[in-house]
Amino acid sequence: MFSFLRQSTFTMKVHCFERKFCVSSSSLVPLPLPSRMETHFWYILPDEVKSSSLLNQYLDLLSPCEKENVFRMHGDRLKKRAILARALVRTTIARYQINSEVSPRSLKFRKNIHGKPEVEWQLDDDWRPPPLHFNISHTSSLIACGVTMDSLIGIDVEEKQRTIKNNILSFAQRYFSHHEVELLTSISDTEVQRQEFLKLWTLKEAYVKALGRGFSGAPFKTFTIRYGGAISGNVNSEASQIVVESCDDSTSHTSNWEFTLLELSSHYAAICTEKDNNAFEGGTLFLWNKII
Amino acid sequence: LNHRNIPLFSLIGLCVFSASAFSFSCEELLFYPAQPLSLSLSLSAKSETVEKVCTIVRKQLALPEDSAVTGESKFVALGADSLDTVEIVMALEEEFGISVEEESAQSITTVQDAADLIEKLVEKNGA
Repeated sequence: MFSFLRQSTFTMKVHCFERKFCVSSSSLVPLPLPSRMETHFWYILPDEVKSSSLLNQYLDLLSPCEKENVFRMHGDRLKKRAILARALVRTTIARYQINSEVSPRSLKFRKNIHGKPEVEWQLDDDWRPPPLHFNISHTSSLIACGVTMDSLIGIDVEEKQRTIKNNILSFAQRYFSHHEVELLTSISDTEVQRQEFLKLWTLKEAYVKALGRGFSGAPFKTFTIRYGGAISGNVNSEASQIVVESCDDSTSHTSNWEFTLLELSSHYAAICTEKDNNAFEGGTLFLWNKII
Repeated sequence: LNHRNIPLFSLIGLCVFSASAFSFSCEELLFYPAQPLSLSLSLSAKSETVEKVCTIVRKQLALPEDSAVTGESKFVALGADSLDTVEIVMALEEEFGISVEEESAQSITTVQDAADLIEKLVEKNGA
């Protein structure tokens, strides 16, 4: 169902679960909030949602603004995807044992000054909202939502078979860093080159989304994703460090960031989270496949 | 006939030629403010630019020829994700010989936004 392509830390544990996609809070099996060491990655496959009445129930969870956005989408497939993306975020966040007031429908969202979506908690005198972070990504065949506690998160998913319309090396020269262009140029097989391009794209996109400053806040050319050497003593030869470096100062590693790249249901999925510098071991990744 | 490439004086010449059929005097037309002429010029250029953007967008998103793509169309509503948007910007750069900075690229949400930005950058190049 999934496989690791690259992982930042060799001690990362992964747990895979399937959970039913539920609409009402009463049928949501509550989960404890993630610990600081955990990343929760929830995903659904839109093609598995076949019932239009179910889709209407999900639509009903959305805010008026979200519904407007849904109706602006061209065509049924895009409308369906928009409904499911918002429904996934709402039901996922509401599932955590936050408080009795929070339901998928009651959640409110806003965008930060750079346009990154975040929860707008309904503040109470006695209650402090949990530092829950989330990030969404979707393609036509997979919608994902990553959740962390007290740590910035950015995710990106892309279909493995996705074709690039522009010339890959021209694109990389225009947008990627020098080191990344060199890496791609060194690959002679065009199919492998396309795959490596996509992996780099998802990792870079996940990083920028984690930063939450938008595309122009961290232009792709200003940082490099680098695959470091294998960690000594690690049995799994696939696992090697993924690091991000600022191009301005190649000697400084922006070591606060943890990357994971996996293959999931014919997609590449990149997850970028803030590293807990107090942790000696890698975190735990929980993969939740929401099924209908 | 590319409006951009015709020097203004020869356009006025054309107008003078056709103006005689409407009994305008040559002097009157030559002293008419250039504004109405340039307004119609920029409107045509914009619709031509919009059309080119629509073509590039359709190709990037693999939309059928008859799909509704107009100036008002939002990229996101057409199904474009971030990689599509960047690919579209790159194709526009190549098509129009311009360079789009990240801040500008980020602000493009509709076909019209892209066309307006292209016009601005092409004009800057020409200046």
